[in-house]
Amino acid sequence: MGKKDLASVTTDLSALASMMPTQRPVTPGAVAAAVAISSPATAEPAPVVPLRPKPVKREETIQFSLSLRKSLRKQLASLAADADMTMRAFVLNALKAKGLSVRDEDLADLRKERR
Amino acid sequence: MSIITIATTKGGAGKTTIARLILARKCIEGFKVAAVDSDFNHTLTDWLSTAARKYAIPVHQELDETKIVPLVTELDQQHDVVLVDTAGAAAQATIFAIGCADLVLVPMQPSSADVVEAIKTVNLIRSASQMLRREILARVVLCGFRPGTNIAEHLDREVVKANLPVMAARLNHAVALQEMSFTGTPPTVGTAGSQATAFLDEITHLGALPEPKEIVKLAS
Repeated sequence: MGKKDLASVTTDLSALASMMPTQRPVTPGAVAAAVAISSPATAEPAPVVPLRPKPVKREETIQFSLSLRKSLRKQLASLAADADMTMRAFVLNALKAKGLSVRDEDLADLRKERR
Repeated sequence: MSIITIATTKGGAGKTTIARLILARKCIEGFKVAAVDSDFNHTLTDWLSTAARKYAIPVHQELDETKIVPLVTELDQQHDVVLVDTAGAAAQATIFAIGCADLVLVPMQPSSADVVEAIKTVNLIRSASQMLRREILARVVLCGFRPGTNIAEHLDREVVKANLPVMAARLNHAVALQEMSFTGTPPTVGTAGSQATAFLDEITHLGALPEPKEIVKLAS
């Protein structure tokens, strides 16, 4: 075991810390706001142009399969049905509870939209 | 010089009480002390700016985990003791505060939830220790116990079973510790004063606090 080195703390612990929630105050994202463009040449009030929010690039989703015991699959299906959730949403919820960063949009039940 | 982090993933375990005690007693002894408050409830900040204002202890409220290590590093160079009080939940700021520490104190009240969270916190400290490739000294502090009760005896057995590193000195239930939140004055005499002294002496023997100086009287 080595000696204390404060300079390496951030680097060495970043992987462990990334599994924990942050307390950092969240700055509001791009909000559509109206801005007045001043035009000294005319006496008419300047037109108000709303700012378009920047398009957010969606992260690519991938397929991930895993093998489990038939009984476990059955149990998962039953618990998800009891919770009125898809199995996917149920599993993602469990991962979120473990501290993984799962977005709310990932938990959306897509079945309802298709009906 | 000396960095002490107080952490447990459970709220209401006694983190801020321990912080108050260490800061006030070490300040009265004439040491240069500073506090970092990374608890979003900012209870320590409030106390240092009201009841304990007389000590003029600098306190930095910092929730941003990216600023914890640079802040503690800077304060460490200018003070004899730097104390970091953390939120009652696992958070990124807590991990970095643990990584900076010479000693992590994990308070534990007499309840089953406190035992569970103390075990989790000690495991978290052990993980951080492995990742930093250095031993982070950690001690569980038994707080708010009433000696001789069944629950106190039961928890004594539980902490042994869980292999928790427990301090011999305890901060048993004492009105003087509760009064400190209003008066700003830490116990120095009586039963509460004796247990506070024993508690600080044990931390000093662990090498995480400077040797005590004679207590100097502060102008109030």
